[in-house]
Amino acid sequence: MKTLAIMTHEAWLTTLMAGFMSSGENKQRLFDFSDILFRHFTWIERELVKSGEKYDYDRDSIPIKVNKLSLLLNNIVQRLGQIDLQLIGSGHDLSARISSDIKYITSALIRLPDESITAFSVERRLDGIDLSEEATDALTLFLFEESYKEYELIMIYNYLKAHSEDAYINRIFQILIDESFFHLKSFGDMMAKMGILGVPRVIHKEMYQIDDIREFLLAGIDEELAAKEECRKLSEAVSANSPELAKFFDFINNQENYHIALMKDALLHYASINNGETK
Amino acid sequence: MTVNAQLIEHMMNPKNYGPMTESHSEGIGKNPQNGEKVIIYIKVEDDTISDISFQAIGCSTTVVAGSMLTEEANGLNFAEVSTLIDSTMKILEGVPTEDAVCTEMVALALKASIDTYDMRRDDSNYPAITYQVKDSCTPKEERV
Repeated sequence: MKTLAIMTHEAWLTTLMAGFMSSGENKQRLFDFSDILFRHFTWIERELVKSGEKYDYDRDSIPIKVNKLSLLLNNIVQRLGQIDLQLIGSGHDLSARISSDIKYITSALIRLPDESITAFSVERRLDGIDLSEEATDALTLFLFEESYKEYELIMIYNYLKAHSEDAYINRIFQILIDESFFHLKSFGDMMAKMGILGVPRVIHKEMYQIDDIREFLLAGIDEELAAKEECRKLSEAVSANSPELAKFFDFINNQENYHIALMKDALLHYASINNGETK
Repeated sequence: MTVNAQLIEHMMNPKNYGPMTESHSEGIGKNPQNGEKVIIYIKVEDDTISDISFQAIGCSTTVVAGSMLTEEANGLNFAEVSTLIDSTMKILEGVPTEDAVCTEMVALALKASIDTYDMRRDDSNYPAITYQVKDSCTPKEERV
């Protein structure tokens, strides 16, 4: 089951990266498939938690540098085939569901039209936007930093959610996961357009195997405030050349306010539990 | 940070990133002010680094520094690694602290991995050594 989780984690990320690379009609389908694979991952993880089997989010590095989308799609098909092999003979409802999904996704992937890939060109230009060198550098650094951060947050909240039976707190974690997915997809798309796409690095266990959730949430609020400041600075840096892009980073900046509110709500919830109150 | 093609390549594809199973030694560089840290794992043959990897809890600058420094350290013998660490620390002396601290953390993790290896010659269970960054270049050991 642990191997299955790792393989599914890798297949999910590879499919998500393929979605970023695609600039045509394949994009949404690849995003949909990557969402399904992420859900598989969370269901497998839940089984691991239930069985008490130890696991972590370590995985191999994922090579994605291709000049044709079909090369990566073939790689995903192979990955899915290996996952399907692991499921043979298990007899579980979950295995049957995943296997059935894999058969459909595989049949769809092999029929997707091919595309030339420019996600690794390192041109660092966005269509229709003429940024100064300074603004381009600021945007480049922001995208690398924040795309990793969003992946990290998805995995941390996912891990915490998998280990919690508290419906109130899990609702908050799920909102934060969904929000980070939107940010990751936005930043990943932008990285692919600029030709600087990279797979987020493996997260160290210490980041998600947390002993003190209260301390984690307090640090998380500080990080959200820092992210807001980065968005503000970036908005300022690009505003002269692209008011449209500046508005986008203001929009992301404002979204962080609600994340902070949710994290404060979670802190209050933990405090009320510690005080013996019910919510 | 000056953004150039080499830096972008290290950000897109960090070299030697990830945990290493069955490493012979590990070393940790840590910034106590913000909790950031770097862990370097090494395999050693005849006092030469035969394999190396790193993980970072930190920013992109730390990852780029880890990627570059582990690339340089791979295949060097211990004397050459010491020279690499010393020359890196020397370069950092002229760099503002806030810019230098990420690279310093990586260099200290590399030093810690070599020092841990030396300690394990006598005690195979010796824990990974942690060095903390500070303005002075003399690392302070922290036992964890």
